[in-house]
Amino acid sequence: MQNMNLYSRGDKLFVRINIFLLTLFALSTLYPFIYIAAVSFSSGSAVTAGDVIYRPIDLTLAAYKYVWNESQFWVSYMNTFIYTVFGTIVSLLIIIPGAYALSRPQLIGRRFFNLFVAFTLWFNAGLIPFFLNMRDLGLLDSYFGIIIGFACNAFNVILLRNFFEGIPQSFEEAARMDGANDFQVLWKVYIPLSKPAIATVALFCIVSRWNGFFWAMILLRDEGKIPLQVFLRQTIVSLTSDEEFGSTLLEAAYSYETVTAAIIVASIIPVLFIYPFLQKYFNKGILLGGVKE
Amino acid sequence: MKNSSRTSSLIQHFKREWQIYLLLAPLVIWFLLFLYKPMYGLQIAFKDFSLFKGVDASPWVGLEHFRTLFDSDMFIRAIKNTFIISFLNLLIGFPTPIILALMFNEIAQGKFRKSLQTIVYLPHFISLVIIAGIVINIFSPSTGVVNLLLQKLGFEPIYFLTQPEWFRPIFIGSGIWQEAGFQSIVYLAAIAGVSPSLYESAVVDGASRWQMMWKITLPCILPTIIIMLIIRIGNLLEVGFELIILLYQPSTFQTADVINTFIYRQGLVGNQYDVAAAAGLFNAVVAFVLVMAANTISRRLTRTSLW
Amino acid sequence: MSQVVLEKIVKRYAEVDVVHGIDLTVDSKEFVVLVGPSGCGKSTTLRMIAGLEEISDGTLSIGDRVVNDVAPKDRDVAMVFQNYALYPHLNVAENIAFGLRIRKVDKAEITRSVNEVAEILGLTNYLERKPADLSGGQRQRVAMGRAIVRHPEVFLFDEPLSNLDAQLRTQMRAEIKRLHSRLGVTSIYVTHDQVEAMTLADRIVVMSAGRIEQIGTPMELFMNPVNRFVAGFIGSPPMNQVKATIADGADGSVARISDTVSIPLSRAEGLAAANGQSVIVGIRPEDVLLEASGGEPSVPLDVNLIEPLGSEALIHASVGGEPFVIKTPTHGDISHLNDIKQFHVDVSRVKIFDEKSGSALYQADKAVG
Repeated sequence: MQNMNLYSRGDKLFVRINIFLLTLFALSTLYPFIYIAAVSFSSGSAVTAGDVIYRPIDLTLAAYKYVWNESQFWVSYMNTFIYTVFGTIVSLLIIIPGAYALSRPQLIGRRFFNLFVAFTLWFNAGLIPFFLNMRDLGLLDSYFGIIIGFACNAFNVILLRNFFEGIPQSFEEAARMDGANDFQVLWKVYIPLSKPAIATVALFCIVSRWNGFFWAMILLRDEGKIPLQVFLRQTIVSLTSDEEFGSTLLEAAYSYETVTAAIIVASIIPVLFIYPFLQKYFNKGILLGGVKE
Repeated sequence: MKNSSRTSSLIQHFKREWQIYLLLAPLVIWFLLFLYKPMYGLQIAFKDFSLFKGVDASPWVGLEHFRTLFDSDMFIRAIKNTFIISFLNLLIGFPTPIILALMFNEIAQGKFRKSLQTIVYLPHFISLVIIAGIVINIFSPSTGVVNLLLQKLGFEPIYFLTQPEWFRPIFIGSGIWQEAGFQSIVYLAAIAGVSPSLYESAVVDGASRWQMMWKITLPCILPTIIIMLIIRIGNLLEVGFELIILLYQPSTFQTADVINTFIYRQGLVGNQYDVAAAAGLFNAVVAFVLVMAANTISRRLTRTSLW
Repeated sequence: MSQVVLEKIVKRYAEVDVVHGIDLTVDSKEFVVLVGPSGCGKSTTLRMIAGLEEISDGTLSIGDRVVNDVAPKDRDVAMVFQNYALYPHLNVAENIAFGLRIRKVDKAEITRSVNEVAEILGLTNYLERKPADLSGGQRQRVAMGRAIVRHPEVFLFDEPLSNLDAQLRTQMRAEIKRLHSRLGVTSIYVTHDQVEAMTLADRIVVMSAGRIEQIGTPMELFMNPVNRFVAGFIGSPPMNQVKATIADGADGSVARISDTVSIPLSRAEGLAAANGQSVIVGIRPEDVLLEASGGEPSVPLDVNLIEPLGSEALIHASVGGEPFVIKTPTHGDISHLNDIKQFHVDVSRVKIFDEKSGSALYQADKAVG
């Protein structure tokens, strides 16, 4: 924007009010995180007494120590890593070649296959048939079921296909004249040219894997296989099912509140770690996946 | 003659291009196995389904499950709740990101704006379980910060999450808190596409910033707004039921229970698979009609369809 | 090096022909330019030669081999694309080597070839750079390097200079020409720019609406266009084309533009036209003399506008009510040009075309060019 001195008095006021309101909004977005972090570092008694507002009271790592010694936490954390890493790899192995094939003009039935993919955006069978299908396939309570069953979705395929379609035809033609086959065109030309789009799709996969809980909750019975989010939910449920919402653990060092908060913080940290990438690519991804004629 | 040459050119084609079909195969198989096969399984909505007999062998019962559903007050309540929550969500949740984008646009590009944006996008990437955990924590009657505030102001503490009248405001509010910032990206991109010369000529004409926002920015991003609105309407039934499952409890079912949570409880918790599948089919058909209608309207209105 | 022969080549999209049976023989080592307005089928024709578009009908041979059904990589042709198609993730050396690597050429051999090509194109110091760090002209050279390195039988160029600014285009034009004379590879070059066509080609093929209008050396096309289209396309500014009727004049036939204005015709042109025939008179802007040098007939005109270009000036005028452009040397002074009331025609340069068909009525011996 232009030099502030050029603004009229009305404009200056407008700009200031605007900045004030936005800052307020941003702070209210940030506040819950600050609060949770503060709770996680506070003593259980301070939280129960209602002393924690925005900073830790009786600074302590008790809640984290509790979580650290909770074996289920580590098992779940490990599982989440497994689901995220392998899930994302499997997703990319299916989506990238498929999206490439769908973007080829020479593919016979291209319209049909694109419709075949897009149709699932508009109509899906719903929770029950999907669950029964997973059951029929013998994918209940298995790592493989979680990894393969959620490997793909139409949105990611279409996003990448659109990107591939936007790559000038001449790149492929030049490679073809140089003697490249489809595998080589995909591997040596399209994938290197599509790094931002592929990164976007990969990040979509990573985030949805990291955060996914619903189907893991439904499909997994074995505590040894549940991901972090399901573990977190169990912890929270045991908190909410307590009518008083109060602490049943009366040791002062930690309480359910501080323990839950500590698990929340621990599960957010990896997200914060990749957040700079997320911001960079999701911006693009939203636009890539946007309206297409 | 023509046919045989077509066949031979088809053979030629597959000889030359077999690789792309090989690349496509895993995707097609995955879609068939995990998205289309369940559609076949949807027939249990018309069957007396038993896990032991399986989909094919279970006997047909016609529309019985639908009759059961529409005779059930709980299902009717779920439909009502679905539409009410969706509508409120649209009414409040739709304009918020637009307003946010317009406000961001009024701040000069730079570190300050960037950090504000970084903050408001963040909740989008946080899992619903955590969101629910945060909401429960903050609205907790004994230790939650909201109630602490109320008590300091001299009010009685409120058991927010057990009170039906508080469920919708909390649910919709947390949805906005999580998504509004991130959704503003689309509008910011649209605003970035507005030609700077429009603003420059307005400045020369003596327009104030307020006027420019109303007379230039808003009209210029109107097509984007319309398209986003149509998408929203197409997805009207997609209330975030996963968050509802995390936040509701029996005492708030009367305002919180939506079609998908109903299906979840009937089918996945109560093992009434066939009735739940019937409810799911109803949901899917209504959603399909809404999406198709939205797409048709979009095509008429903006000459671009969404897919 | 190989000859390229197109026989009755047709391109059909969904039952509609966009290229209507093209016959063309490009001789070994020849540089042929396909030129025409956009949508005339020149690029489609080139892409059929490359193997990027299927040939709907007709026969295409490269060397002694019919290649209609041969995959592009096996045709032994290389192509320079309009947008260069340089892979942004590879550096210059890797870009040039791409085709050789795909073909699993020996590593040492690749290095040797890349260095040799870089030497020829003056890219030796840039081999490590990525395309994004190169200037337009350098990118253009890398694109050519990628074609050269494979020692193909035929080079195909698809508007390779259209992304460059005017000055660089002139420079690269000269470079392509020098490269061709050095390597002597059969080349087919597509452009919509007639100046490029004129300067580069051994022979030019003028195309319009999926057909060949005329094939010839640059000077043949300039001096003896077979129809109004070629006359209007080759030469800048384009040939003035004025409606007229053939009549008898004092010194043989004249083309009468209006009651008061007539343009005399050369004997040969006059003989080709029938008295009273409706024709189009074609006069190139530079074939007009402002000062008679000896007996040329004069034509009256009204000057509308002078556009000084420096050493030359364009005079926009009207002759018998029709727009007419004259290009004349200024000798550093344009003050007098406004006062011009008439011009003289070099009779031997006037062309006449049939009004209906647009064809030239008289074709001078091809040897003239």
